[in-house]
Amino acid sequence: MATGTLSASSEKPMAGVLGYFDDPTALVEATAKVREANYSSFDVFTPYPVHGLDAAQGLKRSPLPYVTFVAGATGFMLACILQGWTSVIDWPLNVGGKPFWSWPAFVPIMFELTVLLGGLATVGAMFVLNGLPNITKKAFDPSLTTNRFAILIEAPVQVASDEEEEEKPKSQNFKAFSEAEAADFLKKLGAKEVRTVYQEGWF
Amino acid sequence: MQAAHQIPNPGKFQVPSGLRNVFIGLLVAGLVAAGLAYAKDPARFWPALVHNHFYFLSLALGGLFFAAIQWVTGAMWSAPVRRLAESFTAFLPWLLVTFAILFFGLKDLYKWTNHDLVAGDIMLSGKQAYLNVPFFVVRNVLAILLWIAFAGKMIGNSIRQDETKDPAITGRNRVFGPIFLMVFAITFTLTAFDLLMSLDPYWFSTMFGVYCFAGLFYSTLALVAIVTVYLKRKGALDGIVNDNHLHDLGKFMFAFTVFWAYIGFSQFMLIWYANLPEETGYFLHRMTPAWKAVSAFLLFGKFFTVFVMLLPRGNKRDPRVLFGVGWFMLVAQWIDILWLIQPEFFTSPKFGWVEAGVLAAFAGAFGLAMFRFLGRHNIVAIGDPRLAESVLHHHQ
Repeated sequence: MATGTLSASSEKPMAGVLGYFDDPTALVEATAKVREANYSSFDVFTPYPVHGLDAAQGLKRSPLPYVTFVAGATGFMLACILQGWTSVIDWPLNVGGKPFWSWPAFVPIMFELTVLLGGLATVGAMFVLNGLPNITKKAFDPSLTTNRFAILIEAPVQVASDEEEEEKPKSQNFKAFSEAEAADFLKKLGAKEVRTVYQEGWF
Repeated sequence: MQAAHQIPNPGKFQVPSGLRNVFIGLLVAGLVAAGLAYAKDPARFWPALVHNHFYFLSLALGGLFFAAIQWVTGAMWSAPVRRLAESFTAFLPWLLVTFAILFFGLKDLYKWTNHDLVAGDIMLSGKQAYLNVPFFVVRNVLAILLWIAFAGKMIGNSIRQDETKDPAITGRNRVFGPIFLMVFAITFTLTAFDLLMSLDPYWFSTMFGVYCFAGLFYSTLALVAIVTVYLKRKGALDGIVNDNHLHDLGKFMFAFTVFWAYIGFSQFMLIWYANLPEETGYFLHRMTPAWKAVSAFLLFGKFFTVFVMLLPRGNKRDPRVLFGVGWFMLVAQWIDILWLIQPEFFTSPKFGWVEAGVLAAFAGAFGLAMFRFLGRHNIVAIGDPRLAESVLHHHQ
């Protein structure tokens, strides 16, 4: 269907070999085998989150919760300092005869700033950790965003690129990459269709 | 990930005789102590009775509430542990007995039962249409009967499903669920107003019902976690409940710890800010030097300690941590109810043989009722259409 647009660019660097799968169960099983084969780099594309895929890919847990915690704690302390300094030190005001440090009145702001900083930092860190926004790469095939699943065995990087290395296999003795071998391997794992794809970006 | 996976039925759970004897011992010793307390120290006995009546009412009713929201939301994760919450409802009929005993203490507990006081007090005589003994008894007994009826219907359905495996039963409980939740919201609010808030008939807070609800669900979730971990240790839930289910329970406990703190603080802050005499007195009683420690415990213990303990992911997945935190939460909720009741009677917190005895009697009866239920019915809702998905889905 979309082969014309994908293949006509042999001068572009090869991205790797893409194997299509029709159902998520087969995809997760194949992913585990690709991981065992120990290629230097591979990735998996699904139109929706698939349970068990992270484990099959061997992805580690994201450090995101720690970012949220630190940012939330910072927001909490900022709120304490902000309100303490303004209400007690810089401009003390008598409100209803209550003490200057009337902490119950400050709790909503403490809560809000905790949530605000925690939330914004989480979204920001999520973008950074995912390498987003990514303007140098385009989706290989629109069907991967609707109804199909695919594993990409990536070609070793030839041109200098700022690609994110998400996970690193245990040993450094990677399996050598060859286009034909990777295609064969994916077919053996049950891929319905195998294609060689090339790097394409928006720019 | 096999396509067809048969979930093993763990069957019923016969409580080990050691634990059974503990509950019997608690019940007998508690009854003796309570009888003595009734004779020798009624001023301490009646507050302890309403205290434990409300605390165990919350747990028994909380079990039905937990099960009901699983049906209403069509939750899948909770299918393996829902029956454990259902077992708490076995205590519901006993509330009729404890309320019957409580009836004889109304004069000692509630100022608004005193005709002379009410007649000479414009505030209390204004509330007389609601706060009078016949109406109080009728609505409280009616509430308990409604809960028993809903439990009989919904839990009965659930147990019948073990045999028939009929998925339509889940649909039927999904219809009962929202009806029960509305009945629950009204009856439990009124029960909290009646049993606890009217101890000080001058004070009022529209948030009091939801505050008590927050405590109800806080302690119910803790007990579900404790029973789950206990049965898991006994090997009764092998192949059914795994760390992921514990993780979900832990998240639920964490969420309702925050919810309780949020409700508790919202009630406190509005009263503190407005500083109206008829409202503020309630908290002034609880901020005397003697009561300040208990108030502080609620903030730092009931909320903050649990918050910190349940924040890391690893802790929520660790059965030992969940078990320990669960017990801490049960104790904290008990202290919270103590904090709602005792300042109306005593100038400092009281915990002696009277309070311990009444607590022991209730705890023994609750434990026996719960384990009797688990000994007569399957401990996992084996006919639930969502069970297989829950067990497999959470299996990595």
